[in-house]
Amino acid sequence: MDIDDVKARAGPREFSPSDDLPLEYREAATRMLEFHANSEVMGGYLDKEFTRMAPSLDRKLACTAKCQDEIGHAQLLYRAAETLGVKTREEMLADLTNGDGKFLNCFHYPVDSWYEAPMIDFFVDGAAMRRQATLKDTSWEPYAHAMDKVCFEEGFHVKHGEDILRELMTSSKANQERTQEVFEDWWPRMLQFFGPTNDESTHNDFAQQVGLKTVSNDELRNSFLNMYMPKAEKYGLEIPESPRIFERDDGTMAVREDDLDWDEFWTIAKNDFEGSHEQIGSRRRRQEAVEWVRESMTDWETAGADSPQAAD
Amino acid sequence: MAQPAPGDLSPVEAQLLRLADDEYVLAERYTEWQIFAPTPEADLALANIAQDEFGHARLWYDLLQDEFGYEEPDLLWERDPGNFVHSPLVELETPDGDWADTVVRSYLYDVAERLRLDALADSSFDPIADRVRKVQSEEGYHREHAQSWLDRLTGGGGDAHRRVQSAVDRLFPYALTLFAPTANEDEIVAAGVRTRALADVRADWLDEVVPYLESLDVVVPDPSAVSHPDEVGRDGSHTGDWAALHEEFTATYHELGFDDPATLRSENA
Repeated sequence: MDIDDVKARAGPREFSPSDDLPLEYREAATRMLEFHANSEVMGGYLDKEFTRMAPSLDRKLACTAKCQDEIGHAQLLYRAAETLGVKTREEMLADLTNGDGKFLNCFHYPVDSWYEAPMIDFFVDGAAMRRQATLKDTSWEPYAHAMDKVCFEEGFHVKHGEDILRELMTSSKANQERTQEVFEDWWPRMLQFFGPTNDESTHNDFAQQVGLKTVSNDELRNSFLNMYMPKAEKYGLEIPESPRIFERDDGTMAVREDDLDWDEFWTIAKNDFEGSHEQIGSRRRRQEAVEWVRESMTDWETAGADSPQAAD
Repeated sequence: MAQPAPGDLSPVEAQLLRLADDEYVLAERYTEWQIFAPTPEADLALANIAQDEFGHARLWYDLLQDEFGYEEPDLLWERDPGNFVHSPLVELETPDGDWADTVVRSYLYDVAERLRLDALADSSFDPIADRVRKVQSEEGYHREHAQSWLDRLTGGGGDAHRRVQSAVDRLFPYALTLFAPTANEDEIVAAGVRTRALADVRADWLDEVVPYLESLDVVVPDPSAVSHPDEVGRDGSHTGDWAALHEEFTATYHELGFDDPATLRSENA
């Protein structure tokens, strides 16, 4: 198939590993899947903090389950990426550790309090759900298939995140104020989650033409605003005055993009933000600390042990 | 309701509290590996095990609530750290990146756990016996996981084998505290809450773990020559690692000051 054939055929779950696809398509799909898988891993670096903090045993179980799900999603997505034959999982994980791998902007900001739990588990995950739901119709079948499982489990996470927010916003005045403060920090990051509208340039345009993406950044952000602004307000959060939000003629919501800090966004996109260094550095240190295990497994395999079954 | 304190409990309460505290504290240590394990598969396995252990802890804490009227804050969030009765084996901090330490601890614990559950399967206290089977099925998987890793870590020799040896040297004396009696030991056996004495369970444990570890060319300390650590856990005495962990996992609870810890049974049961 050449690229024109791909564009002509592009549709939901249209292409699978049995198709002979041009490198350009396979590279674009790999880029999306790798980004998505990396984001599951780096989201886990934030979420694991909440496990230790969880203020009830049931919440702790839910936080533990969520971390487990995220690792499972990463595993599934790396596998779907590998089916494209462009990059191995080891290469993708190595790139993530050495700072070349890219991941969602929101996961470049370290967290240090429970007030941040609903920001990640409700709003950021809710934003991710908006995007992931549309990826069930992506043209790379293994990706769409992974989304079926991911979306199902994310539904539980978002529900738990919403319950954490409800609990905070119906508790003491001090807790409500802290939650509002933290929300104000996170709100612009959430709006940048979808990227700038005018970035329908390089990757996105192509990704839409070949059916990898089915919905634009702008539409996804509208959908997020329409769904999550009322929810934020329902729990008593006030939407910050800046960035300005306005209603378009068709009744959908939009944001004045000039009000957002795009320098920070693009610095993050280069993994060069202060928080990027912190989060990627944490990943690197943790991976180096267990490098000896991976080396010993290689030794064990080359030693030709007689029972090569996986421990996992 | 007052919080449970060792030395002031009925035999059933004393038995339940040991079970619950061991599982809870071990799970806290397991979750420290979330996202930090050597491979995604190892990560997934350990996250799964942590989840199981928290689940078992909840099962035993639930019984303490249902049968003895305690509430979750009495049992976890507001209990004095000196009133927890877990073995210090499960509270010890893991040296940085020391996967061997976690695998060895898991193995030593999981064998003891199986033997303990066997001794509770015919408990005279029906609610314990009823729950043992569910826990047993999951613990079997934990033990296989630990053994599979031990086989691999020791199979290639070199650095990994040395790390396993050093973890056994460090952890074995603490593992013996799993069998340290509480004040109620005689009553627990007399009332049939547990059908075997801890000394017998300990003997079975030694018969299993010592030959297995030796088959991996790991030297096991002579149990009769091991001087127990001063902290045996069952009487509320703990290492410094426990104070730090307890402070960490209760800090947010105290900061938030909610009326009650949230329960999510409909979603999570």
